[in-house]
Amino acid sequence: MNPRPTVVWIFAALGSVGVVASLFAATPERFWGNWLLWFLFVLTVGLGSLFIVALGHLVGARWSVPIRRAPERLSGLVVLAAPMALIALLSLPVLYPWARPEGALNPVVAGKAPWLNVPFFVIRVVVCFALWGLAYSILIGGSMRQDQTRDPAFSVRARHFAPAFMVIFGLTITAVAFDWISSLEPEWYSDIIGVYLFAGTFLAGLAASALVVIYLVEHGRLPGVTNDHLYNLGGFMFAFTVFWSYIGFAQYLLMWYGDMPEEIFWYKQRIEGPWLNVVLLLAVVHFLVPFFALIPRGTKGEPRSLRWVAVLVLAAHFLDLYWLILPVAGTSPPFSWPEISFALCFLGLALLWVRRAMRSGADMPVGDPWLQEGLEFRL
Amino acid sequence: MSERVVAVAGLFDSAQVLLQAIPRVRAAKLGRVEAYTPYPVHGIDAALDLRRSPLAGMVLVAGMLGAITALFFQWWMTAVDYPIVVGGKALFSWQAFVPIMFEVTVLFATFTAGLGMLFLLNRLPFFGHPLLASKAIAAVTRNKFALAVEAEGEPLDVEAAKAALATAGATGIEVLSSQRELLPLQFLTRAAMGIVASCVVAGYAMYWVIKLFPVLPPMVHMEDQPKLNPQKASAFFKDSHGMQLPVEGTVARGYLPYLIATQEEAAGLVNPLPRTEPVLQAGRTAYNQHCAVCHSLLGTGRPTLTSAYGAKPANLQAQTIRDYPDGKIYHAIMKGKNAMPSYAADLTEDERWAVVHYVRVLQRAQNARDEDFQ
Repeated sequence: MNPRPTVVWIFAALGSVGVVASLFAATPERFWGNWLLWFLFVLTVGLGSLFIVALGHLVGARWSVPIRRAPERLSGLVVLAAPMALIALLSLPVLYPWARPEGALNPVVAGKAPWLNVPFFVIRVVVCFALWGLAYSILIGGSMRQDQTRDPAFSVRARHFAPAFMVIFGLTITAVAFDWISSLEPEWYSDIIGVYLFAGTFLAGLAASALVVIYLVEHGRLPGVTNDHLYNLGGFMFAFTVFWSYIGFAQYLLMWYGDMPEEIFWYKQRIEGPWLNVVLLLAVVHFLVPFFALIPRGTKGEPRSLRWVAVLVLAAHFLDLYWLILPVAGTSPPFSWPEISFALCFLGLALLWVRRAMRSGADMPVGDPWLQEGLEFRL
Repeated sequence: MSERVVAVAGLFDSAQVLLQAIPRVRAAKLGRVEAYTPYPVHGIDAALDLRRSPLAGMVLVAGMLGAITALFFQWWMTAVDYPIVVGGKALFSWQAFVPIMFEVTVLFATFTAGLGMLFLLNRLPFFGHPLLASKAIAAVTRNKFALAVEAEGEPLDVEAAKAALATAGATGIEVLSSQRELLPLQFLTRAAMGIVASCVVAGYAMYWVIKLFPVLPPMVHMEDQPKLNPQKASAFFKDSHGMQLPVEGTVARGYLPYLIATQEEAAGLVNPLPRTEPVLQAGRTAYNQHCAVCHSLLGTGRPTLTSAYGAKPANLQAQTIRDYPDGKIYHAIMKGKNAMPSYAADLTEDERWAVVHYVRVLQRAQNARDEDFQ
């Protein structure tokens, strides 16, 4: 979104040099952990945006029609995540014990072999991306075409497709959580991890969408969109900040209570030693600050304040993924030039990707029959 | 009570007209201007210059108070007042307190929101708003919009209010007066009477319901199973008694029969307990509770008991008893000796042997050898 793409290009190029260097200089676990982290960050921001689009169609929301183009364009990040996923498949033997030969020696891991094996894993990844691509082409492609055709039939079709997408989304986001995150430690299991990832994904999509909408409003590209529309995005962020905390704490509480060795080791890795600082920071930036910041009516409706909360929520989602993934790379949180290089490279790429998407099509779904009603929305 | 004019109200046909009329009526500064609409009208808060409701702040404070209250209560009960270790967790386990803190936060917040809105902000209880008695109210609940100038402390200038509403375009202007006000005491009396009446009705209803429809035990499976009841007949046994004597030769768990008859035979028994500190401590406890009353704390015996008891309690420090093997002392505890009764029922097997050890300790303490001082 930076108005000077050359600066972003330079940073991304610098970052990619660092990424290539860290492939040789850093430990393989650290390199691939960072790769997985950024792949999942880009993917979840895109998927969260796709979910927001489908949710609007599902419930027939009118207020969100004028700002729908923002999550629609951000959904393109799922496309950017696809090559990242293909490369991340190379990390299987490095990060995932079940993909190594000694995985068969562990009876627990061997028992999960029907699900956790490389061919089936690859099939699941391909099927997930195919389903998301299908949803993208139906919901976003159709919406873009509607700009020209002004055909209200798309709005009806999207509403009929949205329930099916919800089922697909529920299954695929759970698969992402189980496959890419949970199976880093294949002895561990948590039924709720899919819901946990969904909460963070939806929040990330909301925050990114709010940032795009605020940017466009400030550049006068969304005439008619008021603070009331932003207020709704802020309200969603408030609700799902609480939801994320609720789910995260529910998972922790049960495992803490049970104190079973096969469950609690996952938390011991993540709340003992230097990682305690990370989880405390996570509680502050993912719950405490956004929660109290979003309580006043003024924060939710004011572009100036909502922007900072959205940036914080996006960063908190990143920290959440960092806390989920990077403990496999070491007992202390890695942060040095490889991490900065990854951030420069992939943040730059994602920004350029979104910037390119921002130039295609109109800034509002001008062909949607509900656009006028959406513009008239007031609290 | 005399009738008092509380408001002058007029009707408008649409929300737009109403919104335009509000500033004009307000400009007359006759009293509080209040609008009554069939649905929420956008922008009416600003037009009426309503200040922001304090409810949100009240709810926030109450919610935080709820969280702190729940945390304090649980800390006090589980860590201070009645400490109980649950599941091997620390006494102050904040993780376990969080769900309750969450619930109490919600409870305090919602109650504050509901009750605060009704009683503090909407000033309940009041019985009958003057507007409810007006002719305009039926129209307000359908498709008309009412604007009222309401008295604030001092009496209302009725004519000026009428004129202000009329110039603003209101139709059907009417003057509303309070018919009768309910005094707080009257309200309390009626509320108390109502509570008493409902208690009486509910009590009698409950009485007759239980009388007419006998309460069935909800689950009787455990009671109805075939089993032996003490002091009840049983068809299972030939003599049809529920209670039976134990089979001959039955030994109660933990109590082996003591078959040795004489002290001489018991001489060969070996003390099975090691001479460790916990054993000696147990022996001292048992000795001080059961033996010391006659044999004294040092084992020397209490001659003062002789007249009351008919015999002199044995001096355990005497050379004959110091020469006893452990088994003979054990036998004396089991079977009694001379005037001393059996203590088998008072001491467990282990306690008896621990007492034997302790008696040896007492004897050694009174007859210390040189090496004991090194």
